[in-house]
Amino acid sequence: MAAEPTTRELRALVAGYEFDRGHLLPALIAIQERYGYVSRRAMEALARQLGTTPALVYGAVSFYADFRTEPPPRREIVWCSGPACRLRGGDRIREALQHTLGLPLDGQSADGACGFRLGQCNGTCSEAPQVWLDGEVVGGLTVAAAVALAREVMEDGAS
Amino acid sequence: MNDRFAAIAAGARERRDASRSSGRPRIALCLDTSSRARGGEATLAALREAVAARGLDVEIATTGSWGFCWLEPTVSVRSAAGSRTVLYHSLTPDRVEEFLRAVIVEAGEFPELALGVVEGPATDRIGLLRDHPFMRGQVRRLMANCGRIDPASIDDALANRAYEGFVTALDMEPAAIIELMLESGLGGRGGGGFPAGRKWDFLRNATADPRYLVCNADEGDPGAWVNRILMEGDPHLIVEGMLIAALATHAVEGYVYIRHEYPLAIERMNEAVRQARERGLLGEDILGSGKTFDLVVFTGAGSYVCGEETGLINSIDGYRGMPRIRPPFPAQAGLWNLPTNVNNVETYANAPLILREGAAWWSSVSDDDAKGTKMFTFSGAVNQSGCVEIPFGLSVRELLERYGGGVPGGVPLKGYQPGGPLSGILPAAEADLPLTLAPFRERGMFLGSGGIVFFDETASVVDLCTYFLGFAEDESCGRCTTCFQGTQRAVEILRRIASGGGRETDLDKLGDLIQTMIWSNCLHGQFAPTTVKLALREFRSEFETLIREKRDPTRSLPGMIAYEITNPTAPALAGAAAVCPTAAIVADGAGHAIVDELCIRCDACREVAPEAIAIRDRFA
Repeated sequence: MAAEPTTRELRALVAGYEFDRGHLLPALIAIQERYGYVSRRAMEALARQLGTTPALVYGAVSFYADFRTEPPPRREIVWCSGPACRLRGGDRIREALQHTLGLPLDGQSADGACGFRLGQCNGTCSEAPQVWLDGEVVGGLTVAAAVALAREVMEDGAS
Repeated sequence: MNDRFAAIAAGARERRDASRSSGRPRIALCLDTSSRARGGEATLAALREAVAARGLDVEIATTGSWGFCWLEPTVSVRSAAGSRTVLYHSLTPDRVEEFLRAVIVEAGEFPELALGVVEGPATDRIGLLRDHPFMRGQVRRLMANCGRIDPASIDDALANRAYEGFVTALDMEPAAIIELMLESGLGGRGGGGFPAGRKWDFLRNATADPRYLVCNADEGDPGAWVNRILMEGDPHLIVEGMLIAALATHAVEGYVYIRHEYPLAIERMNEAVRQARERGLLGEDILGSGKTFDLVVFTGAGSYVCGEETGLINSIDGYRGMPRIRPPFPAQAGLWNLPTNVNNVETYANAPLILREGAAWWSSVSDDDAKGTKMFTFSGAVNQSGCVEIPFGLSVRELLERYGGGVPGGVPLKGYQPGGPLSGILPAAEADLPLTLAPFRERGMFLGSGGIVFFDETASVVDLCTYFLGFAEDESCGRCTTCFQGTQRAVEILRRIASGGGRETDLDKLGDLIQTMIWSNCLHGQFAPTTVKLALREFRSEFETLIREKRDPTRSLPGMIAYEITNPTAPALAGAAAVCPTAAIVADGAGHAIVDELCIRCDACREVAPEAIAIRDRFA
């Protein structure tokens, strides 16, 4: 992951966005797509561009589950919280993953090696119970398979 | 008929016919999100590689979903003569070689994986697709093009009658379009069922300009993916529906608000909008009519309450997606406080069919009070998790048996949730209810947007309540104390009951909370406790057993069970000890023992050593 972007880079990235045009979310999404997260500095740059306050920008950032305020981990397990997964042992998988990774939901390790995140159902329920490993579906999981996956990710992320 | 449109459509048909009569066979792989989750991209890569390696002259295309989500990747093959198409399922990369040999090299068929003949006569070994048990009884109108066309190609859509309904509407007065919508009886498909024509009429009669349309494609109900199927399978149908609404309401700009969990739908809709603009179907002076309308595809960022129309409007406006206090209603003060109409994806998608085929045709599909067809997805305790389009009125049980393939393992059905985490749950005894609006409304719940979740006797209703209330708590916007504190308090009480600490007074407390939460501003808080309300009515004994006997009949609640080793010297226990995330299985003399304080009841050990480990009641 690149170093934290400078204010100048951030201002250039958000230069085209305007307030009262529905641009706050698109701008935040563009920042996160580019840098992987929305830093405090990014919120300040965006607030200035939109003619509003950093507090309003932070209000939106903290409201939506998808925005990160620190750089993303190198490897990430997103756990599907949907009902089809739940009915097939999804919650036991969450419990096992949390303990294996030593991370709470929406937490990541201090060294940025791996993260664990809550995901919402996207309707691929025939694969339940599932997680997304770095964006790829790993479906039809058993708890034991989830534990093995988490251990592998931790080893990978550490190296 | 509009001359410009006639030329555009004729061009598209010519290109389609040229592909058909090229003498090349066509392989079309479904590559929607469900197919991707089941390895669709690997199959596509394998197909391309094998075709190149063998030097075969084949057109390879991708499509949206036919609804057979549990059998992806599905693949249709059109013969070289262009007159016969067969649909196959579960084509994994390792089967690609033999598949291609059969269907292309030998120009034959592959009955083992065949679902049915899409086009052409049936044979002894492959029946017609429409006679497939999963297709029988379905009426594919909204989904008519899903699976058949390349959703990234406006030519494919135009050759299959896209935008014809809009062109019809171009020659009509706004009032006449609304009259037709009212005549059809189309109700909002997001769950409310409010007549779409009336909603459009509110916007038509608005006094301020500019005015806006919003397509609610937030589809946040876990277990519902009907909108995703449409956006990924036939995005132009939604563009066209919004164009018709724009003509009827004088709206000049529209927003399609799609949740970020649907990246492919976002891509498809963006592509469709770009292509429609290129052909002069969006933008200024559409088809030379002097009318202006354009669309923005807007990506959400993870918030369930943004599916509530005023929360969605705040989200586009650039604020926290908190539902507003109404009135004013969106038709008076919506986006940027200007008049706005919000409809669900499926609502807009019906408009082209009504304009093209007429209200009488559209509403004659069933004699149910709710008119037209409805798409449903089903998941949970089903053998087949997929998507269908059927007339209103089929019973829930028929949906489960006929399309969902019944409950796996012959376990009895315990109940179901008809429409999202706020809609509530009903017991199996109520599975004969017809899938339409009235019976659910009568029970204080709603049919919702089309995602049905089934659960069997192994599921704990208290766990389901904890899950759905926990979801509502997580997603509460924080405006109303009744909602954000009510859900929190309910979850606390439910967790207490689920872990053996329930009190006799807890059920009354939950009852009080349910009453109080009704006073929340929006549907989220008002309906968040529906699951608990219905569970207390329909499954009360389960709560009582937990509280009074400290026993969970399903033996699934982690707080109510303990694990014990029944055969300490079983060799499999070494593997169980190795997999345990908390190292709760320790060596004990010649065998193994479980340290109860460390055990998190995740069941990993029992998966590895089922013969040596058992679950017992914790408080027995």
